[in-house]
Amino acid sequence: MARFEFKLPDIGEGLADAEVAKWLVKVGDRVVEDQPVLEMMTDKAAVEIPAPGAGVVVEQRVAEGEVVKIGAVLYVLETEGSIRGMQEQVAEPKQAEAPAPQAAPQSEAGVLTPREIIDFAGTPVLAPPAVRKLARELGVDLAQVRGSGPGGRISAEDVKRHTSAPAPAPVVATGERTPLRGVRRRMAETMAESARSIAHVTGFHELDAGAFQTVYRRLRDDAEAAGRRFPFDALLVRAAAIALERHPIFNSSLDDERMELVMHPQANVGVATATPGGLIVPVVADAGARSLDDLAAEVDRLAAAAREGRASVADLRGGTFTISNTGAWRGAHGTSLIRPPEVALVAFGRIEEKAVVRDGQVVARPVMPMSVTFDHRVIDGEQGLSFALTIRGLIQEPEQLL
Amino acid sequence: MVAGDQSDPADVLIIGAGPGGYVAALRAAQLGRSVTLVEAARVGGVCLNEGCIPSKQLARFAAVKATATDLAGSGMPAFSGPPDMVAFQKSRAAAVSALVGGVESLLKSAKVTVIAGDARFVGQTRVCVQTGEDAVRFFDFKDVVIATGSQPIPWAGAPFDGERVVEASRALEFDRVPASMLIVGDDYIAVELAVAWARLGSRVTLAAPNERLLPELDADLSAAALRGAKLAGVNVLLDTRPDDPGDQELVVVSMRRRARLDGLDLAAAGISKPSLAFEVDPQMRIARHVFAIGDVTRGYGLAHTAMMQGRVVGDVLGGKLGAFDSRAIPVAVFAAPEIASVGSSQGVVGRFPLAALGRAVIEAKATSGFAKLVFDGDDGPLIGAHLAGPRSTDLIAEMALAIEMGATAEDLALTVHAHPTFAEALMEAAEVSLGRPIHVRPPRGSAN
Repeated sequence: MARFEFKLPDIGEGLADAEVAKWLVKVGDRVVEDQPVLEMMTDKAAVEIPAPGAGVVVEQRVAEGEVVKIGAVLYVLETEGSIRGMQEQVAEPKQAEAPAPQAAPQSEAGVLTPREIIDFAGTPVLAPPAVRKLARELGVDLAQVRGSGPGGRISAEDVKRHTSAPAPAPVVATGERTPLRGVRRRMAETMAESARSIAHVTGFHELDAGAFQTVYRRLRDDAEAAGRRFPFDALLVRAAAIALERHPIFNSSLDDERMELVMHPQANVGVATATPGGLIVPVVADAGARSLDDLAAEVDRLAAAAREGRASVADLRGGTFTISNTGAWRGAHGTSLIRPPEVALVAFGRIEEKAVVRDGQVVARPVMPMSVTFDHRVIDGEQGLSFALTIRGLIQEPEQLL
Repeated sequence: MVAGDQSDPADVLIIGAGPGGYVAALRAAQLGRSVTLVEAARVGGVCLNEGCIPSKQLARFAAVKATATDLAGSGMPAFSGPPDMVAFQKSRAAAVSALVGGVESLLKSAKVTVIAGDARFVGQTRVCVQTGEDAVRFFDFKDVVIATGSQPIPWAGAPFDGERVVEASRALEFDRVPASMLIVGDDYIAVELAVAWARLGSRVTLAAPNERLLPELDADLSAAALRGAKLAGVNVLLDTRPDDPGDQELVVVSMRRRARLDGLDLAAAGISKPSLAFEVDPQMRIARHVFAIGDVTRGYGLAHTAMMQGRVVGDVLGGKLGAFDSRAIPVAVFAAPEIASVGSSQGVVGRFPLAALGRAVIEAKATSGFAKLVFDGDDGPLIGAHLAGPRSTDLIAEMALAIEMGATAEDLALTVHAHPTFAEALMEAAEVSLGRPIHVRPPRGSAN
């Protein structure tokens, strides 16, 4: 019998840590090689961590919801033989029948000196115990808080100011409490960050989608005839990519530390996707450079991966702009929150027949609601309208998209 | 009953009712958990029954005798004859019983179920408690806290025999003053015992395996402890590891302690037994529903650490965001002089000698003590304090608070301390570090 400490491997993209989303086995469970043992949640992707070999999980060292660093021990696996590439855990000393008299070490490795005791507490942030407790309760990382006291001492006020969240309501005993984890936790964090830091402005528009629908149906039918799929969103991504080329400011980020605008060399268009686990945004990399067929295939692949919880970290990173198609959910007009560090987002609603005036006549036309939301710290009202008009033109004269 | 018989549900099961376990039980119960507390001996653990509390009774008893002897030259009538240790032991036991009774009644009013017996794991979520020679009870727990404390490590020279070679706790129970005594060890327990029994009239030899007493603490404190022990009449042999007890009447061994985990059968619950002590996270967790607190975890093995950890675990079990993030854990040594320490020794130091303090001169023997404060840079916060002298074990609380609050030398220097008290030494030491002391000459070259 050998025991192995299984450590969190490097799961790519230079991530330093990940959250334990779910244990898929219990202590005492027997696993076979490559069987998923637990699910880790990185930035927005769930990653299943397979067993390195067959054995019994004898100890779980981390709990669900815990954020652990690369290299941290996740669990201990007891196996019959050795596992390639893994070092056996130092054998536990056998339980002695009677304590051996010579067992008195001169200096015990397990005894901490007072110096170590103070280090044990972690990073020395200058904050009194009650403030540290408050920070824990509000989920504030004290290392990120600027202290207003002498020598940078952090006060309770500093912690409260750091978060826009109101002071915690007194804990109510009633009601079931569920910890926010994984995708839902990231959503909460990202959206709060967005609301806190971005100066949102939203403009509403109504687009005549008649020609667009015709073009889309043709593309869809052609693709189906060829045994492929052509997602509706692919055309919207195409429109966004062309508009971004004409309005590069919409494809930028604000470095607010240095007050510098960063223009992105390529348009990576995220597509907001509702999943059972929460909102995630897979990204079509370099959407401007792709052919329409390529775009369709990529949007189709990403949507399926996202819905099935298989999206990889790479699929979810590097976005420079986001589109949101709320039409699929019968959404009409609505405002949106921009994903930092992006500066804009366009949302499309459900196409419905509406009475509109054409050449002095009231006629029924398919109308698509659209809202363009931008960060007014970076983009002014005229630029915002100009971008919206470009998209309107692309949708209403969809030949430009082909 | 037979193994496999019916079991009782235990929402929270705590193994060990020492200062960690009983505090965890009270806090978890306060927060609405239903707690079962298993204890093999007496509620209160080693600390209350045979450690901290009785050793302080002995230290006080010996200190009063030493003080009276000191004052004999100032008109106080001298003691005649040896102390009555039988009477002392009776009053010692009574005080311990009163405190144990106090804890028991707190547990009772908190509706904590206390089960007497030895616990061992028999499954993932099941514990078997040997409640009598032929009686066992089973408990199925949701959460379990391991708080079984520590036990002394035996000495190479001779095994414990309970009569001539004894562990430190037995050395608190002697009902006469032994003519001679060898104490093997250099930790605070060894030093406290040596001073107390020497003051009571025993011929005490302290064989310390390291080059200094209290080797974990600041070197200045080691020097003060050595001076004080010698003054109390202890024959101190440093860097000495005796091979056998020699012709000493009694041998007391205090060679540190180790986690008490034998017999718990941790493997049955899927927990691996640590070689020394458990590594825990800030919530004192070793697995999702398994917690460990006190001497079974890595650390200095102090009752007050266990008690804080007990509160943390109780909070966590009660659904609160508790975490053990104490920055300052004081160490208190009740010897001659009293010694106390918290935090670091490295930094900008301000040292004030008690010889310059009015209150210390009143208690003439106290003038060899000092207060040594350590700051993180010239304007930085206090990060350590090392005190030798009367009341040091109480004064260290101010230092721990100052560290936790991030107080600077200015903060301490500008806080009024009552006169004449030993606490003034803290304010004075802060002023020394700022280069502007009133009651000692400023260090040469410092700003005026």
